[in-house]
This record gives sequence, C-alpha cells and structure tokens, in this order.
Amino acid sequence: MDYKNIQTICPYCGCGCALNLEVIDGEIVGVLPANDHPVSQGSLCIKGWNAHAFVGHEDRLKKPLIRKNGQLEEVSWNEALKLVAKNLGSIQKKHGADSIGVLTSAKCTNEENYLLQKFARAVIGTNNVDHCARL
Amino acid sequence: MTNSIPEFEDADCVLITGSNTSEAHPLISTRIMRAKAKGAKIVVVDPRTTQMSLLANLHLKQQPGSDVAWINGMMNVIINEGLADDVFIEKRTEGFDELKAAVAEFTPEYVEEISGIPAYDLVAAAKMYAEADAASIVYSMGITQHITGVDNVLSCANLAMLTGNMGRPSTGVNPLRGQNNVQGACDMGGLPNVYPGYQKVSDPDIQAKFEKAWGIRTENGGRKTGSGLLSPVTGLSDKVGLTVTEMVELAGSGEVKTLYIMGENPLMADADINHAKKCLKNLDFLVVQDIFLTETAEIADVVLPGASFAEKDGTFTATDRRVQLVNQAIEPVGESKADWEIINMLAKEMGASGFDFSSPEEIMAEIAALTPIYGGYSYERLKNGNVLQWPCPDAEHPGTPYLHKDKFSRGLGKFHGIEYKAPAESADDDYPLTLTTGRIMFHFHTGTMSRRAEKLNKEVPEAYVEIHPEDAIKVGINGHKRVTVSSRRGEIELATRVTDRIKPGVVFIPFHFAEAAANALTNSAFDPVAKIPEYKVCAVKIQTTADPVLEVCNESYKSKN
Amino acid sequence: MITEIRDKVAEQLEKLDGIVALRSTEDGAAPYLFQQGDNLEELVMNPRYPLSKTASKLQKRFKDAKLGVVARGCDVRALVEMAKRNQIDPDRLVVIGVTCTSEEAEFCFCAEPAPNLDQWSGSTLIGEPVPGAPPNPIVAEYAQIPYAERWAFWKAQFTKCHKCFGCRDICPVCFCEACALEDPLWVEPGLLAPDFPMYHLIKAQHMTTRCVGCRQCEMACPADIPLTVLYDLVRQDVAELIGYVPGADINEMPPFTLTLADAAIESDLVY
Ligand code: SF4
Ligand code: SF4
Repeated sequence: MDYKNIQTICPYCGCGCALNLEVIDGEIVGVLPANDHPVSQGSLCIKGWNAHAFVGHEDRLKKPLIRKNGQLEEVSWNEALKLVAKNLGSIQKKHGADSIGVLTSAKCTNEENYLLQKFARAVIGTNNVDHCARL
Repeated sequence: MTNSIPEFEDADCVLITGSNTSEAHPLISTRIMRAKAKGAKIVVVDPRTTQMSLLANLHLKQQPGSDVAWINGMMNVIINEGLADDVFIEKRTEGFDELKAAVAEFTPEYVEEISGIPAYDLVAAAKMYAEADAASIVYSMGITQHITGVDNVLSCANLAMLTGNMGRPSTGVNPLRGQNNVQGACDMGGLPNVYPGYQKVSDPDIQAKFEKAWGIRTENGGRKTGSGLLSPVTGLSDKVGLTVTEMVELAGSGEVKTLYIMGENPLMADADINHAKKCLKNLDFLVVQDIFLTETAEIADVVLPGASFAEKDGTFTATDRRVQLVNQAIEPVGESKADWEIINMLAKEMGASGFDFSSPEEIMAEIAALTPIYGGYSYERLKNGNVLQWPCPDAEHPGTPYLHKDKFSRGLGKFHGIEYKAPAESADDDYPLTLTTGRIMFHFHTGTMSRRAEKLNKEVPEAYVEIHPEDAIKVGINGHKRVTVSSRRGEIELATRVTDRIKPGVVFIPFHFAEAAANALTNSAFDPVAKIPEYKVCAVKIQTTADPVLEVCNESYKSKN
Repeated sequence: MITEIRDKVAEQLEKLDGIVALRSTEDGAAPYLFQQGDNLEELVMNPRYPLSKTASKLQKRFKDAKLGVVARGCDVRALVEMAKRNQIDPDRLVVIGVTCTSEEAEFCFCAEPAPNLDQWSGSTLIGEPVPGAPPNPIVAEYAQIPYAERWAFWKAQFTKCHKCFGCRDICPVCFCEACALEDPLWVEPGLLAPDFPMYHLIKAQHMTTRCVGCRQCEMACPADIPLTVLYDLVRQDVAELIGYVPGADINEMPPFTLTLADAAIESDLVY
C-alpha cells in the first residue's frame, strides 16, 4: 500500500508546466497540478491534466524490434544493439560518416539530446545532427 | 523567448501573430489574458478567428504568407507618425536608414492590397503597439513556417527595436516553441552547425575544446574505438552537417544511407510526407527509438523501445529558457529503457569511451562543464526549486529572466530592410483555396501521445477541415459532410467544419491526424536559410466525397419514382 | 499547531494503516499516504488539494485498509458529500480535523472554518475554532446586476475558458466516471471556448447541492474565471429555497438525488 505524488514537467507544450503524477503501488492513477510553480501556479490545460494517459497505453513498445523477412519481430536488447552497432559501423566505414544522419528529439530530455549528438559527432564522426524543431 | 512567461502579465500591449496561443500554449495565454484584465491592449494578427482573437482589442486577418508586408506596413506607420523610439535606435541599433528605405513603399493602402488587412486597422494596430510603454511580440510557427520564415522573424525583431521594446521586462520578441523540449534540443546541439550552447562547429577553438573533453585527440593521435566496428574518429568534423529536410532529401537520392531517429516522427511532421516516405524507404538502414510504433517506426529496420517522461529523470527546457527537473515516477514499462541508457549501451557496444554515465545527473555535469550558457546548472540547484533561465554561466549566477538588457549579443541590434516575397505556391484556378495548418487544444504534434489519451481523443476524435460558409457553398458542402482535400502533392479525406472563424478563400487543417495527415498536402518548399518548410501556405482544392448513405437514398428514391 | 498535528498523526498511525495528508519535499507539496516509519516532519497543511478524492481512491483500492485523513473544515464537508454518494466509507475513515485561522477563513470567505466532526467516530479536532468569515462581497454585488447584463458578464468570462476540466478535476466532490461535461449530448466536444452556457451551467447546476466552498476550482482555473462567485450564488439559492447546505449533515440526502422509485412514471411520451 503506497500512495505518493511525484512532481515532474508536462510532456506536451513548451510552457513547461509542473505537474504531479499520482502513483499508487507503482502505477500512475492521475495528475494533480503543482501549486508552487512559477508558470503553472496550480493550473494545467487539458493536456497536462491527461499527461499520464498515454504512459500505460497498451500500444507502448515493450521490446526491441528487428525487421526479419519484411516483418518487425521482437528480439532481445543484445541482438538489437549488436545489429545496430554492426550496421552503423559498416556503413560508416564504407560510405563515410556523413552518409549517416541522426535526429535528436524535442520530446526527450536535455541529457538524452546531449548524449545523442555526442554519439553522432564523437563516435560516428558527423555533424548531420538535427531534430524536428522547425516542424 | 527573449523574456519570461510571467512577464506577459505586466505588458501594456501584446501583439500575437502566427500563434494560436490559447490552444498551443494555454498557460501562456493565461498571462496574456491577465495582462488584458489589467488594461493591456491585445492585437492578434491571424487569418483565423481564435480564442485569443475573440478576446483581443483588434484582430487583423491577413492573407497567409503576407507577414513581411503587414509588419513593414506597421513600421511605415510608426515612422511616419513619429512613434519610433529615437533614443533606442540611436544608442542600441544600426541600419535604421536601410529599414526606413525598405518600409517606405509599404503604405497602409499598399499593404491592404497584399494582405487584405484594412488600412485603418493596420494604422490602429501600429499605434496600439508603438504607444505602449512595454509591448511584447508573441509569435509561433505561423511566422516561421514560411519560405520567408527568417524574413518574418527579422521583421518582428525590426518592429520591436524600432519601438525600443527590447531588453526590458514585458517586452521583446517571444517565439513560442511548439514542443516541450524543442528549446532544450536546440540548446544541446541537436543542430547541424553547433555544439551544445550554440558553439559553432566551424570554430577551431571550440572544436579543440570538444575534442579534448571527449577524448578524441589524445597524445598518440586518434582515439581507440575498441571493437573496430568503426573507423575511429580522429578529429571532430568542422563541416556543417545536414538539416532534417536535407537528410530526407538525400536519403531519397541515396547519399544518406542511414538515419538514427530518437523520439521524432518525420513521417507525420515533415511537409509533403508522401515524398518523405519514399525517401526514407530508400535508406539502407533506419533505426527508430520511440515509445510507440510511430508512422516512421513502422518502416524502420530496428525499433528500440524508449521510456516515457514518467519513467526517467532528466531536464526539460521550457520555451522561456527555464531548465526544469523531470522526475521518475514509475519503472519503465516492459523492457523499455530511458533513451540515455540506450545511447550509452549502443556507444559501449561500439567500443566508444565517454559513455559510462550512471545517471542523467552525471550527464548534466558534463553539459555544464562544456556549455557556457548551462555552466551554472546542477541537479542540486534545480532540486532546491530554483527557477534558472539560461544564460546561467556559473554556480552563483541567478539565471537570466530577459535577454539583451544592456546590449544585444552582437553588440548593436541590426535593422534589416526586408522585401516582401509572395509564398511559393498561391491559389490558382486549379487549386483555388489556400491551406494553412496548425495545432488545436486537444491534441499534440503528430498525435502519437494525445490520440492515445482517451479524454483528449474524445474531444476531437478525427481530422477536419475548417472552411468558410462562402467557400462551403461553392464546394457544395452542407452540414458535416466528408470531403477530399487535394494539393499538387497528395490528397486526404476528412470531415468538415463550416465556420466563419476562417477567412474566405482560406481553409485550415490541424496536423495531428495520421489517417488524414495535413502534411500529405503541404509544400516542402523551404526557407533558404532556416530550411523550414512552408507548412502555413499551400494551394488546395476541395471536392465532396461520394456519400454512400445519400446515394442509397437517391437510388431508392429513383427506383420508387 | 503543526507539531500537534504531527504528534496526533504519529499516535493514530499505531492504530491505522495509513493517513492521507500533504507532504512537502524538495519537489513541492502534494497529497501523500503517511505510514509508520515515514518522516512526519514532512507533513504540512498547505497548499490545498482535494484530499477527499485521494481518500476515496485509496478506500476503493485497498478495501480492508483502515485509513485516516488530516482534514480542514471544507475537506470534512467534502467527505460528507462523498459519503452520501457512496464514494467514502465513513466507518473506515478516521478524521484528524484541523481548524483554519481567521485569515485563512477570510481568504476563502468561509462561513464554517472549523471542521464539524460530530458524525465521524474516533475523530479528533486540533486547534481553536474561529468564527466564520463574512461572504464574498462580490457575490452580493453580482446579485444586483440585471439579468440581461449578467448574461453578458458571464459570457465574457466564459469566453476565456480553456476547457481544461480543471475545475471539475480538482473539485473534492466531483467523481463521476461518466461526466455530463464530456457527453456530446450536452456539450459539443472539441470547441474552444466550450459551448456557452451549457458547459458552465451544467457544472454550476451540479454544484448546487455539492459545493462545499473550498475555492480550489477557482485557484486551478487557468483563465481566472470567478467560478466560486457563480457557485456561491447557486448555493445561496438552494439554501434559501430548499434549506440544503452541502456538507452539513451526513444523514440528509441531497435534494436533487432521484431514484426510479421516486419518479412517478405516468408520462404519455412514447419512446
Ligand atoms: S499543461 Fe498544457 S500548457 Fe502546461 S505545459 Fe502541459 S500542455 Fe503546455
Ligand atoms: S478550470 Fe477554468 S478554464 Fe478550466 S474548464 Fe474550468 S472554467 Fe474552464
């Protein structure tokens, strides 16, 4: 029996409202606004109030997928990562680093964006890094 | 944004253009409504009637794509009426004469011809904006998503500088970023020309700094990439990389072989998605890291399951440069993993060093060390509830609520004389209507998340096109009939909403719906500098779709008579 | 007073499985289920959240648990209305009632700032009850506005509405899974601002016999709409016309609750 609220940031628009995720025994059951936040001040829009709704959706990807005979099939992390590493490596060797492009994400965290551009620049060796900000 | 969200409250005038603020940035519209309640004047320039325009003192409905014209027109009025801030122009700017010459021909009457904005409204709006003590400009994609996107942005900056509305609270030019961490993605170097913190890849000193920090140039030359999977990177590239628009294009022509996509869905978000899909299918290898099987993931070779915002720690940067902590609430579902963990694992698999982070907090420490504008950030400071807006160069720095206080980053603010250019595609006999796209309150971006939220989807379960009654009569729509909207690039079928909220001759489609993706129609012609496609203007035609029910009725009617 | 509350909670935790209250951590303050071993220094009384709903959720989820709640006057009134509607089991809930100060009562225009615990067995009251604060002067003022103008006034207010449903979601007595505000029969979905006046009048109508005057809807409203003025007005009418005061008596059923047995089915309408 465990009930708590975790304060975090809304995953939708750029207002950056704070919200509380209501968690009962490791499951998110709702959202409450955050009163002491300078922008949201205890309010949210309908997206914020429903920020948790997609998290537990049945469509969530739960395992890595690899295309085999035209179909995406569930595989282990090990197999997926090995394949990605091998193919990125061979394409980089054969066609050069600039034949690879990387898209970072306006929905991921700063740390993740930092890490992916570092990966592109320092490991692959290309500045082909962008995201869909303009879109 | 040059200023902070709470500052809008104290503005004396807010000029909103190309932003459906109350739907796309609800909690920012709150502040603008509050400003209005305190007596501020609100001016909205938008081809559609929006909630903000209903609350505004003035609503100017411009023809899509005519932004440079009406902004030049406002400046023309301001200069001629003697409302320019001469002191600010003298002390803080350069290039005023060029601007003056460029706007001279944009008399309100001439602007009316181009934009359809009545001359007297333009004059009134110009005065409202220029006479306010603190006036703020708010814009969003409606300004940037044009072939003249950069011109539009520069025009907004011209207008603000002309009236001295820069570098003070509740003023400035405030682009509202669409997605929750677009600002952060840019700040973190998710751009082809800069490292984190907008440090240029072409600058040799910067390059050396990152090479050293990332352990690339060591005493004995190159760095070891262990497994030998890759050619080792022996120096960081100083060549500006490709933008997403170019990557997609070059994937089509075969020069780009592989794309690694984290949490983006270009097959919904890109302009002219039919073309984009063809291009991406031509890739040798496509990796997508996401929480759902998006339209893009569906055609990938490998899909890696990421964790959602509720399942990881990290930071997001809001549109007013406010860096905030994201806290993990639950464990990742299934075997999904936080995106930072996935990249860590992949880099290690490839034998790279420098990817041994055990928490996002450690990554932030590296970011702070290498990114001057983020230099003062640490989880510890953020945890204490500090509101820190970058630039925040060191651990003592209190953050920066508004930019350009005493000087612009380049020193003097430069006026740019901007010529008006018509949009890439205009309505003609074949495609007589102008399509503009945008967001609605109840959905978000490509709909991947919001359409899986029951309550949001219930509000607006399907795509629709907004059309003015006059045009609806011409097309032959009555009631909520389904129609086919087509452009030179594709066609979609969707419901209609006949409403006088939209200008005659213009139709609007929200772009959140995969089954009727507005971006199957949009034009991928893009701004030459920013490479932003012209989502906001293209030519379309509308035809009613055969209505099966009606047909059956007609048939039975005919057979009976 | 906060020490007294924390001590009481510690004492009760020996007997109960958990106590719902607000917890403040470095991330902010929000509802929490305190259990034995938790740091009670983190228990606070501000800001305001709909604790009746938290208690209801937990009672439904943990059917055998004996729970407690730290509640102000309006929280207790909300618990009463929830109990009448089978959303709270009063026999499984111990209330640690806390009085509000005069300043707090004035801020909320609260007529009854001390919780009434007569009908909650095993409950305790902490703090000295203070007299009720006078009603919001604006309410009387608005009541003077002629009807024609009132319409225009509220229309202007509701044109700002974001349709966030926040006023409903934060409401300590709104719990229905099938909400009329989301029923296309009553309110056309997808419009912004939502249909005037249906959306807001349905809400107001539902508040007539429920609103306990906690003011949380107004605080959660991103459009700064003076919702409680409207709700105070309708509550006033209900009190005057029917004599019903939400939250006052756990045994008095709400007047607009209708069961099929109450309804005389003598209609000529053929469906
Ligand atoms: S709650 Fe609404 S306004 Fe706030 S960040 Fe989320 S989407 Fe934006
Ligand atoms: S809280 Fe305010 S904005 Fe939200 S639905 Fe209620 S009245 Fe409308």
